[in-house]
Amino acid sequence: MNADVLKVEGLKAYYQMNYFGVRREVRAVDDVSLTIRRNEIYGIAGESSSGKSSLIKTIAGAITPPLRVVDGSVKFDFDGRTLDVYAEPQAMKGARWQNLSYIMQGSMNVLNPVRKVKHAFHDFAFKHMGLSERDFWAKVEQHLQRIGLDPRVLESYPHQLSGGMRQRLTIALATVCEPDFIIADEPTTALDVLVQQDVLALIKDVQRRMGASIIFVTHDMTVHAAIADRIGIVYAGRLVEEGPTLDVFRRPQHPYTAHLIGSLPRIGDSRKRSALPGKPPNLADPPSGCRFHPRCPLAIDKCKTDNPALLPRQTGRVACWRAGEVEAA
Amino acid sequence: MFKILRDLLRYNIEFTIGFVLTLAIFLFALAHFWAPLPAEAIYLLPPDMPPSAQYWLGTTSRGQDVLWQMSAAIWNTMLFGLTVTILSRLLAVAVGMLSGYLGGKWDQILMTINDTMIALPNIPILLLVYFVMRDSMSWPVLAATAALLGWNYDARLIRSVTLSLRNREFTRHAVFAGMSVPQILMRQHLPYVMPVIFFTAMNNLIWAIGLEVTLSVLGFSDINRPTIGGMIYWANQHQAIIAGIWWWIAFPIIAIVLLFLGLFLLAISVNEYIDPRSRLSRMGA
Repeated sequence: MNADVLKVEGLKAYYQMNYFGVRREVRAVDDVSLTIRRNEIYGIAGESSSGKSSLIKTIAGAITPPLRVVDGSVKFDFDGRTLDVYAEPQAMKGARWQNLSYIMQGSMNVLNPVRKVKHAFHDFAFKHMGLSERDFWAKVEQHLQRIGLDPRVLESYPHQLSGGMRQRLTIALATVCEPDFIIADEPTTALDVLVQQDVLALIKDVQRRMGASIIFVTHDMTVHAAIADRIGIVYAGRLVEEGPTLDVFRRPQHPYTAHLIGSLPRIGDSRKRSALPGKPPNLADPPSGCRFHPRCPLAIDKCKTDNPALLPRQTGRVACWRAGEVEAA
Repeated sequence: MFKILRDLLRYNIEFTIGFVLTLAIFLFALAHFWAPLPAEAIYLLPPDMPPSAQYWLGTTSRGQDVLWQMSAAIWNTMLFGLTVTILSRLLAVAVGMLSGYLGGKWDQILMTINDTMIALPNIPILLLVYFVMRDSMSWPVLAATAALLGWNYDARLIRSVTLSLRNREFTRHAVFAGMSVPQILMRQHLPYVMPVIFFTAMNNLIWAIGLEVTLSVLGFSDINRPTIGGMIYWANQHQAIIAGIWWWIAFPIIAIVLLFLGLFLLAISVNEYIDPRSRLSRMGA
């Protein structure tokens, strides 16, 4: 079964501010279209302030002003039930946590510091599961055991647990209802490499067992390499390249991706990594045409005026006028 | 609950002292229900008797036993203080949390009212209420008035806490998981705000008792109802200090100081139970 679970079409979400009569519009998500299949892990990569988190928040329907959806749609398909996040907010409410769960950025702090862990499970998951109090706790304990946590953690306060345990708990919290779709925003960023590996293995394991789809965001390319089936590269609010992880790593087709991958250290290779000149663009005033052109070594005149569309190419999609000429740097 | 009390008594010396002091004063105040003479009755005993075996704390110039007067006075004063505290806490918590969490227009409206109340001076308003009410002035009316004046600083404090909680991950998570506004406020935020409520409650209790004493000493309350301030008022009326009846003034003052001390120690040590992090650091974990 490889049906599409999530379909994002032409999504535009801007931060619109109006201070003292000055209007500012930050185009954090600009015309993004993507689909995610059942049972797939989709990674979103990009540098800081490229709009990764805004994109994922918009997909989750967890946005608050000044971030607003200007255009486009986000549609989920849960067992044949289609849900449009921005057209039917009421239906979404019922689906949250049950079909769609969210591991937030800084999820180490998702647990309320002055309440025992068990209350978090009760508050977030109880009403979605429709079980009796007794069955609910039996289920939670069973779930914790599968994730490798002693059910006794339910009786502790978050500060009594280690960072790795807390991270496991938030994953347990997000997966206890066995959702169809999990959104994860930097799930491993605050952890050290060893714990990170553990947590990644856990996410992958849980996902395979439940047959859920995951979309996750991180700037850490090694994490993408470790668990993502497909990755999408975001630059300045736009999706510039997308494809199966291995292909993107082996044969990047967008000059930005090529640089990103080329900048990764490799064992035994001590060549100096070249940095890209310039800075990521200001999203309140993005460059015309292709947003990458001021920093792009391959830029031609066309890039300055015309924005390349995200077109299928080989196994993935890429948005570049000179996609055929890019080689791994 | 009993275990918590036992551990607090065992590990926390402040709690033990505060608990013993407050309990002793409470039992002493409770004893007025078994007083041999009604507290309002006057000139039933020989006046101006110094402390002796028969009258442990002496008698007043109005022929009352200081011991039994004080017992009733502390009871009434504590009752007044608690009423003010509970009423004003309800207001402060409701206004503070709603204002902080809802923000926007609600915040503006509630905080405008709040800041207006802060700017109003308390004592003149209470005096005004007294002069308007005159004979129909009873202690519940006074308590309600004091409660209406005593919530505003704490509402701002609670608002500031809620304001920071609103933007924490666990709140956003709770919103995402579909918890309603009352649920988030009661279950997620209230436990966090609880130590603030407790601490301000103790401050408020002390403020309310002080206010009652102030007004009663000046005679702006029901003077026939025995209270600590009322006792001092009558002692002043009879020029007790000049006449050398020191026990009429000294014992009520000692009682109220001990009550303040006991409540304060209780407040700071109970906080340690409520805030799990400071509880652990004390246990050395």
